[in-house]
Amino acid sequence: MTTGELLLIAATGIAASIIVGLRAPRAWLVLTFTGTAAALAAAIAVLAGGAEWEWKSEFLVGGESLHLRLDGLSALFFALLSVISAAGAAYAHEYWTDAEKPESAPASRSWWSVMTLALGLVLLSSNGLHFLIAWELFAVSSYFLVTLERQRREVRAAGWLYLASSHAGTLCLFGFFATMASRTGSWELGPMREQVQLAPLFWLALAGFGVKAGMFPVHIWLPSAHSNAPSHVSAIMSGVTIKIGIYGLMRFTGWLPVPASAPWTVIGIGAVTALLGIAFGFAQNDIKRLLAYCSVENIGIILVGLGVAMLGVSHGNALWGRLALAGALFHVWNHGLFKSLLFFGAGSVLHATGTREMSRLGGLWRAMPWTAALFALGAAAISGLPPLNGFVSEWLVYLGLLEAVTSRGSAAWAAMPALILLGMAGALALASFVKAGSIIFLGAPRTAAARHAHESGFWMRWPMLALAGGCVAIGLVPVFFWPAVGRAAGIWQASWPYGPDSPAPVSPLSVVHVALAVIAGLAAAGLWWLARKNGQRRGKTWDCGYAMPAARMQYTGGSFAGIVAGWFSWLLQPERRSQRPRGLFPAAALRVETIPETILERVIEPVADVIMQVATAARRLQHGRLQFYIAYLLVGLSALGTYVALGSDPNVAQQRSPLRLAGPPAAYPASHASTWRASP
Amino acid sequence: MNLVIAFIDVAARLAAWLILAPLLPGIINKVKAWVAGRRGPPVLQLYYDLNRLRKKSVVLSELASPAFVAGPAVAWVAVLGAALLLPLGPAGAALSFRGDVLLVIYLLALARFATAWAALETGSAFEGMGAAREVSYAVLSEAALITAIMALCIHSGSVTLVTMLTPAAGAGAALLGAGLFAVLLAENCRVPFDDPNTHLELTMIHEVMILDHSGPPLAAILHGASMKLLLFAVLLTEAVLPVGNLPPFAAAGALAGGVLIVTVGVGLIESLLARLAFRRVPLLLTTAFLLCLFALLVAWNGGAA
Repeated sequence: MTTGELLLIAATGIAASIIVGLRAPRAWLVLTFTGTAAALAAAIAVLAGGAEWEWKSEFLVGGESLHLRLDGLSALFFALLSVISAAGAAYAHEYWTDAEKPESAPASRSWWSVMTLALGLVLLSSNGLHFLIAWELFAVSSYFLVTLERQRREVRAAGWLYLASSHAGTLCLFGFFATMASRTGSWELGPMREQVQLAPLFWLALAGFGVKAGMFPVHIWLPSAHSNAPSHVSAIMSGVTIKIGIYGLMRFTGWLPVPASAPWTVIGIGAVTALLGIAFGFAQNDIKRLLAYCSVENIGIILVGLGVAMLGVSHGNALWGRLALAGALFHVWNHGLFKSLLFFGAGSVLHATGTREMSRLGGLWRAMPWTAALFALGAAAISGLPPLNGFVSEWLVYLGLLEAVTSRGSAAWAAMPALILLGMAGALALASFVKAGSIIFLGAPRTAAARHAHESGFWMRWPMLALAGGCVAIGLVPVFFWPAVGRAAGIWQASWPYGPDSPAPVSPLSVVHVALAVIAGLAAAGLWWLARKNGQRRGKTWDCGYAMPAARMQYTGGSFAGIVAGWFSWLLQPERRSQRPRGLFPAAALRVETIPETILERVIEPVADVIMQVATAARRLQHGRLQFYIAYLLVGLSALGTYVALGSDPNVAQQRSPLRLAGPPAAYPASHASTWRASP
Repeated sequence: MNLVIAFIDVAARLAAWLILAPLLPGIINKVKAWVAGRRGPPVLQLYYDLNRLRKKSVVLSELASPAFVAGPAVAWVAVLGAALLLPLGPAGAALSFRGDVLLVIYLLALARFATAWAALETGSAFEGMGAAREVSYAVLSEAALITAIMALCIHSGSVTLVTMLTPAAGAGAALLGAGLFAVLLAENCRVPFDDPNTHLELTMIHEVMILDHSGPPLAAILHGASMKLLLFAVLLTEAVLPVGNLPPFAAAGALAGGVLIVTVGVGLIESLLARLAFRRVPLLLTTAFLLCLFALLVAWNGGAA
């Protein structure tokens, strides 16, 4: 089958599943699997070296003819989308069932399909207008997915925040595409690096796509949306949709020229995003919020890779730029895999215990061995540890940075601080996931809910197994996946050869990783055997001779993160409330420490308050009294008349505005005449 | 034929790392005893301990999962892997490729992950404290280590360990050596960051993480810790001395001498200094980072190698 036919099957399958999902869960699952499998096949066909697929139609949508294209870069994201969409659909089959959630389950299935379709269209669109339409459809559908449980107040709040931030980003993108269309005279997208006048548009794209990607400090919507959404939705949002923001940045830094300061800005934002994102994440007590903040960190790593690649282009196509770009693209896949795996694991825990608070859990490995083992694997992968996939991509990004430092050019001044910050972020990520894994799964259960946990069933387990398999496969044989990444990177910058003749720098890693996995497995088995042979007995945990250790005496997540939270207290601003024990027979004592959303509450909300005050003041102008409106008109007209009479210069009036849309000015339609509405 | 030689080469390296490593804690203890005017335990004490632990039975916490035993094994393999990537003077490394230095850093991180995970298996608050300290202070020591690596990369113009560690460190050698020495003390939990002799669990880092380990897993942990110490001592020696450029015997002598000086230095510091209060540890680690940063700036100004 050709790529076009596969995509047609995918589109039909997903579109049909939107309707079917309302009634028939099994048929929906079959259709989703069919659609995503066809989409994956199409993406693989392009990534494996087939021709890129392009389709132009005379069919007009919004006055523009349809133009779809699947090239190496979009195919990389397309493959990730189809894998996570299928895995999430399977997971939801048990996690969000009609029996347990009768009100929202049908809607969840339909919106899932809508979002998959919209994301696919974003990736395929090669027309600015259609890109925006698909983008908006994707934003709205993910809003409905986030707010599936909208009877809960915090879910509604998270949903509104997401919708508002998302549209602030979309506003930037409107400006971006409209200005581009006005300067080039067409909504068509494609490579146009030679049109240097388009370079300043990069800033609009960075703001618009950056909001979606969750870059610091416009990540404010991400923690609450990702933690309050159902876990399969959190998985696709962290795994795929924030990567669509990265796709936008990659697409348009590849197609359009960028200003000279852009690479430096992207590296700077990326490094800060990585470090501060994980600093917030480490201090969280809510497992899903921790995972969400960790997504912010990983977006930072990807941005650093992209920024170094952009710097490499401006430094005469330096080799280190190629390495960093490949690392960034690889990390898109890797983070998609292990973050979805971890959100599925967190969902299993939530499903089994009913809480996301880590300090209420503990000791779950006994009741949920599969979830515990798979979460541990995901935790090791996301900490960037060999021999798993996270190390492969982080190694490429770090190697790019290190080579940039070694080149001793001006690029080193960006690479040196970025490498130090990323190194610290990496150590913090490791600390965060030691904390998450151990507080949830190790030790003794802290509450009754944790004691009565149960393992998740078949449909929730196998998507996790499949994603874990992907993490292991990319970790052990990165060489196998390298050509696909190289192909995507070659689309970004055509003059960079990643072909089969250029030796893959990841090949030594394959050898080391396989050897490490085998030897570590043998050593663990050998040690276990030796311990069994010598005799092994169980005893109480040593607690300094204390005879009655209790579950409440265990270290909590808050105390585990205490040292680092102290270093970052200027940023985290933890709120502490404590009541010391008093008297000889103290009745109560408590200590509560919460980490507020500092950036949102201390930075964004004050600014928003000022805007609201100005808006409220301006609103007084509209009060429904007709005579004042007539007075406004008179004042306005006389001001305009004075301006024309005093300052009119015929030459100025003749000049074309640079922002004027191309094409002949259309007559202003009568329906656009604004209507006044009197306030009640 | 080449395969046989490669096999013998790797086997010889393995033997050297595995057999020589437990010597270092013995030397440190001898130095400490000598300063204090005691006779002290024999230099080979750790060998006796390891042999005895190998035969002992194991007590597991009721809460521990199989990862409690797997953790020390993974950590041991990770440190051994990192050691094999480190070049030994003119003999080079068992395996060398572009960017292997990053793999060494991340193998040490893997060891940290496995050790901390195994420690938290027991649900003990003491081990929780130790693990929290270990992973938190690692943030700063990792920054210092990466800065030191960058200094070496700039100085040698290479990102491969074998070529990075070959030339002499140049003008910044003293700064780099001091910075790396502080990182060595922190990463191996020696005084003034941690006191391996203390028996007060509240004040420890590494020792408190292994409170519940016994028998063969404890042997793996102790042996791994001694290999990590040897690894950092070798790295420090090769970063400062041009070991790679010397003829084989001189190189071996320089390497052994360097490691011995570092080990005696650790012993002397342990005898003469007290352990720092925990709130001062970040300060000292930041100082180590700054030393490495100045070494980096010196290397930057030192001209192309």
